[in-house]
Amino acid sequence: MRKTLSYLAERALLVLISIVVLFPIAWMFLTAFKQPRDAYSLSLNFEPTLQNFVTVFSDPWNLGSMVMNSVIVATVTVAIAVPCAALAAYSFSRFRVKGRKFLFFLILSTQFIPAVVIVLPFFLMFRQLDMLDTRFALIIVNLAIVTPFVIWMIKGFIDAIPTDSEEAAMIDGASRLRVIKDIVMPMAAPGIMTSSIFCFILTWNEFLFALILSRRDAVTLPVGLVSFRTERGDLWELMSAAGVMITVPIFIMALFIQKHFTRGMTAGAVK
Amino acid sequence: MAEVRLVDIEKKYGNFLAVPKQSLTIHDGEFLVLLGPSGCGKTTTMRMIAGLEDITSGDIMIKGERINDKPPKDRDIAMVFQNYGLYPHMTVRQNIEYPLKLRGMPKADRKDRVRETAEKVELDALLERRPSELSGGQRQRVALARAIVRTPSIFLMDEPLSNLDAKLRVTMRAELKHLHHELGVTTVYVTHDQMEAMTLANRVAVMREGKIVQLDTPKKIYAEPADLFVAGFIGSPSMNLIDGAVKDGVFRADGVEVPVDLADHDGVVLGIRPEELDITQDPGAAISGKLYALELTGESTLVTLRNGPSSVCARGHADFEADIDSPCHLAPKEGARIHLFDRATGERLL
Ligand SMILES: Nc1ncnc2c1ncn2[C@@H]1O[C@H](COP(=O)(O)OP(=O)(O)O)[C@@H](O)[C@H]1O
Ligand SMILES: [Mg+2]
Repeated sequence: MRKTLSYLAERALLVLISIVVLFPIAWMFLTAFKQPRDAYSLSLNFEPTLQNFVTVFSDPWNLGSMVMNSVIVATVTVAIAVPCAALAAYSFSRFRVKGRKFLFFLILSTQFIPAVVIVLPFFLMFRQLDMLDTRFALIIVNLAIVTPFVIWMIKGFIDAIPTDSEEAAMIDGASRLRVIKDIVMPMAAPGIMTSSIFCFILTWNEFLFALILSRRDAVTLPVGLVSFRTERGDLWELMSAAGVMITVPIFIMALFIQKHFTRGMTAGAVK
Repeated sequence: MAEVRLVDIEKKYGNFLAVPKQSLTIHDGEFLVLLGPSGCGKTTTMRMIAGLEDITSGDIMIKGERINDKPPKDRDIAMVFQNYGLYPHMTVRQNIEYPLKLRGMPKADRKDRVRETAEKVELDALLERRPSELSGGQRQRVALARAIVRTPSIFLMDEPLSNLDAKLRVTMRAELKHLHHELGVTTVYVTHDQMEAMTLANRVAVMREGKIVQLDTPKKIYAEPADLFVAGFIGSPSMNLIDGAVKDGVFRADGVEVPVDLADHDGVVLGIRPEELDITQDPGAAISGKLYALELTGESTLVTLRNGPSSVCARGHADFEADIDSPCHLAPKEGARIHLFDRATGERLL
């Protein structure tokens, strides 16, 4: 009896939390398909339309170029950050160098600095370099933000891999780099995949730096959302349509992570 | 083929001395076994030769060249790891093939080599499986196959048969011995099983707490153990070790009286192997007591007798029969070897 009660309570709580978390998202999805006149109505009885999606991709909103910017910035950031971080993580995990712990702490400590503190120096620096409003600048900033995080994440995965297989490969004739490529990376693949997606999501959602460092050419999706606050008021239905564009890729990736997150590749290596 | 020389090598983990300073030369083409109880530093010694462990001090020479700073891949060795170290994301075939691939062997040759080797260790039916789909013994055989697929200058094997069942262990032992005969590759073999050591080795290095206490041929180690530790470690059933004292040229303990050629000495341990004792009816025999247990092993019967705290075992005829608790007498055979050790230091006295 007590068991079923606590079970029910647990379920109820889960449902409640889910509602609180999911409600705004669900509302955004609904609004994205509403006509402007229905946007402020609470009724679920409205005539759905795809017009909002057409509108946001045409003049003057041009969401297409923002999608492009976001995709390029996030993809290039992942493509640079993950391989570098994987090598760094491997080194931190395997080499017993003096000062290793301190160095690792130093790298992690960059994560404790509030972004608002460094956004202005970044702005001045890029203005000096004449790189404001470029994707390149955004990629550099995002690299600085995500790389420490990804190093920390991948290190956790590599720490969990026993060293025996690596040593065997070194004796079999592999150089250190070859060992990393042939043995460590395949074994850490699920972890690296997960880290890559995290890295992508972080970059994809990054707002503050993109807002300050871009104006017209390099505007990313989250910043683009702001442009739907106009002098004519907030265009909720368009903002929601753009919001859907931002969230859907993330949803898909989250599903992917969930499926692969816990799967390890180390079974069978050692006794 | 290569000679391996360890010169004054020493290994410390922090403050813990795993292998104290010592030297060891492994001759070209020799099968050397490092034998000792678990935790005595066998794996550590082997890992230093492989280049997987830094040596705290000393030199390692292979073919006369100092290789302290050479990475493992340039030492031309193959190794079987105590806990396998397989590549979990590769099939058995890919595992065995990997060393060949790294050394640049053409694909067609690789295929033949892998098949031959897999047959040797009875893995040919499992080539497409992954390590996680194998039993412990099968994994160990993959590790073995991966080491012997190539002909290196040196084989290092860390308890390569420890997880096989008894029958396969015996066949694999013969297989390894034959392989060594065929290839003549210098081999360092680690085990805690004295039987494996005796059957496989050209020379055995018996280790205790990191130190090699005796290095000699199996025959010599069996016949003339350097100290009490080696005497107790080698042989199955192990040597009878009886506590007593020597006075007026006779070793005495409860029910035991053996004339020996030694000056008076307290705290002496007399050692004699079970196969060098005869069971007699003579009440004046050297060792007397009550029959404690009879164990038929097939080709012989192990006879244990007791007198006070000490028990003595003899290997008798398979047909030997007697009642438990009946009086029993043992006498050293003609020409039997009597070993005497100092109780306190373990040193050999005679
Ligand atoms: N990485 C290590 N750090 C500290 N101590 C170690 C390490 N590896 C081995 N040892 C210690 O060194 C001793 C010898 O170990 P090992 O060579 O593995 O013994 P064996 O192979 O003979 O069983 C043991 O006491 C063990 O605890
Ligand atoms: Mg060991």
